[in-house]
Amino acid sequence: MEKNEFLQLCRDNSLAGNHKLSSRILPVVREYLLDHSNNKLLVIWLETSDSGDNNIAFMNATYPYLNQVFTDMIDLIYSNTFMAAQGSDALLLLEDTVNHFRGRFTLVVEGAVPTKDRGIYNVIARTKNGPITALEVVTRLGEAAQYVIAIGTCASFGGASSAAPNVTGSVGVSQVLEREVINVSGCPVNPDWFVGTLAHLLMYGKPELDEYNRPKLFYGFTVHRHCQRRSYFDKKDFAKKLGDIECMFSQGCSGPRTSSDCPYRQWINHVSWPVKVNTPCIGCTNRDFPDGSAPFFTPLPQKSKSEGTGHSEQTKPKKGGDT
Amino acid sequence: MSPQKILFSPVTRLSGLLSVELEIEHRLVIEANVSCTMFRGFEYIMRNHHVTDAVYLTQRICGICSSVHGAVASYLLDQLYDNDIEENAQYLRNIMMGADFLQNHIRHFYFFGLPDFVAMPNQPPFLSQNCYDCRFDEEDNRRLASHYLEAIKAGEKSHQILALFGGKAPHQHSFVHGGVAVAPTAGKINQALALVRDIRDFVKRYLMPDTELIAKCYSDYFRIGKTPGRFLSFGLFRFGSKNNQMLWQSGVLENGRLSDVHLGLIQEDISRAWFERAAWLKSDEISPAPHKPEAYTWTKSVQFRGKHYEGGPLARMLMNGFYEGGTSTMDRIVARSLETLLISELMEEWLHELQPGEPPIHQKKDLVHNQATAVTDAMRGPLLHSALVQDEKVEKYDIITPTVWNFSPKDEQNHRGPAESALVGTDIPSPELRNVILGRIIRSFDPCISCATH
Ligand code: SF4
Repeated sequence: MEKNEFLQLCRDNSLAGNHKLSSRILPVVREYLLDHSNNKLLVIWLETSDSGDNNIAFMNATYPYLNQVFTDMIDLIYSNTFMAAQGSDALLLLEDTVNHFRGRFTLVVEGAVPTKDRGIYNVIARTKNGPITALEVVTRLGEAAQYVIAIGTCASFGGASSAAPNVTGSVGVSQVLEREVINVSGCPVNPDWFVGTLAHLLMYGKPELDEYNRPKLFYGFTVHRHCQRRSYFDKKDFAKKLGDIECMFSQGCSGPRTSSDCPYRQWINHVSWPVKVNTPCIGCTNRDFPDGSAPFFTPLPQKSKSEGTGHSEQTKPKKGGDT
Repeated sequence: MSPQKILFSPVTRLSGLLSVELEIEHRLVIEANVSCTMFRGFEYIMRNHHVTDAVYLTQRICGICSSVHGAVASYLLDQLYDNDIEENAQYLRNIMMGADFLQNHIRHFYFFGLPDFVAMPNQPPFLSQNCYDCRFDEEDNRRLASHYLEAIKAGEKSHQILALFGGKAPHQHSFVHGGVAVAPTAGKINQALALVRDIRDFVKRYLMPDTELIAKCYSDYFRIGKTPGRFLSFGLFRFGSKNNQMLWQSGVLENGRLSDVHLGLIQEDISRAWFERAAWLKSDEISPAPHKPEAYTWTKSVQFRGKHYEGGPLARMLMNGFYEGGTSTMDRIVARSLETLLISELMEEWLHELQPGEPPIHQKKDLVHNQATAVTDAMRGPLLHSALVQDEKVEKYDIITPTVWNFSPKDEQNHRGPAESALVGTDIPSPELRNVILGRIIRSFDPCISCATH
């Protein structure tokens, strides 16, 4: 359908006073999706309890840039951030995709899922029949999706949204689903890690995952292993303060226990990363971030881990600690 | 005919999760409840943290304005430790904040705002745009829609500047208390200058003319979505060794009269927010109450001298004499674009002032105070962090963000916040135009719900 025909259809309907436009549009959308879903990933992106930093990180993707991701890699059907549709039209698109593409779409979840009080701390939309909680929709769509990707540390492991005292009982996506979730952690995610994962799914299927279900190709080694300051560390030449050029271990660096390729991939068109600006890595890809990295500027052996913030009621994760 | 109750949910193309509940009678919006539907509890999370964690941890409140949370937390720590800030550090700090402002405004205009006025191609993520009031002719429309793609690189380049000096974005690293940890080398300065020039060219070639075109074609929006004309700003871009000089002034603007902001006169009201004062907590403590019947949002109602105030680019532009206009939807959009242009020019000036050299950072070791409040304006308006500290550990941390000001729910006396006032009184000529018109009004505030509820 040409754009003009589409616009005409909208106008016709509005003149006819028929407000059920979506029911006329949706078959067209469905047709469109059938044509395109063979060579692109059909993506539903849910924003749950997060800061929205991962969608901003996604906008920072370079080679491919965002537009290239949209044209060549994914059909982003639902996204609170990007979609032109709004209100019930947006929900209809969501509904329709789930109904017609069961088992054939990729669910991207950005944010943790609150579980306390039946998940009422995160409502993705309100309807006449009541609120739709993140818990409800992630559970339902998680079952229907071909792949589930948790983008960012909140979605992967709970992250800052589940930091002690976690008054909302927030957990990572994998803790509310009985299925495999690909965790692409980071606070925020480096867009390369996410776009790279999408590309892998598209071209070769599921990437090899580490013990925390993260693609090995990005999380296979620690920050420490490839750090430009490693020679200082080996000589025990530690920085006396932030701003110094020596190893940041003395300033609280979590690099030795953090898996990611920041030292050589770097951020925003690959220009820098935290150690390069003379500050410690704070371990933002870790399962226990941020509690396990706190206090951020205290050397690793003295960090307080999850008890460190003085809270005891934090949700206990299922798996063991990072190494 | 009795009023019709309507739900506008979800309101898309913004940061976070927002629903709006409306009452409409004879085409007119007679009541609006803005409902921010996500809550994490950062004020509780901050407790018991070493206070220096604030600069990184509070950035996690927001992905689109993270550096500004880091900035205000740094100012707060500068007070607590009584740091002296070098001039070079102030330039670097403002350059990082400026870069994030550019990123925010460019992305807001093109990714969030543009599909309100321009027919986008019928492909994801623009399906079901339902363009009921797209007014541009084919040629203008095609050109404007193509600028969405141009904006992708301009936004990315803005964050490249932030990452050059701050290591990454969102959630930058080097703007911490006592100054900035990065060394401003000649190479970095030149790289940033080249990026800023590209961004400024984008602003001049695309953003400004596009704003003008939209303002002309949709000039009726200079009458739609008006607020009562009470504005507040905490000022923006701090200089001076004690962060004491402000480039853009702070103030309260009411009926054309400007007066000072007294922080002591700011109060938060929780009558319609999902919070309650629990008897077992200290008297000024509140706890989440998601089932409180009379509440409809996680956002508290914030007031200065008992009244709601609007914040954001329009407030700053009016207050500093850069813009003369009204309080409408289009005034907010135009003021934001104007601010983008001004900041892109300031950035170049600051990069010239920045001297290549050592990292300009001097953190003092011992706490001098155990209580402080720091403020700045963020992209969307006034941002406040306040902390009470015991032995370097946070006892209490209060955060009031711009979207709390703009998306305040009703207070005890049922006074509406700025966004609610802007919605009430709107004429909806036909039902299919409802979301279109309301969406435009709401987005002109550039709402950020993860900030509002934190
Ligand atoms: S700065 Fe951190 S990651 Fe780099 S060598 Fe030192 S401890 Fe390892």
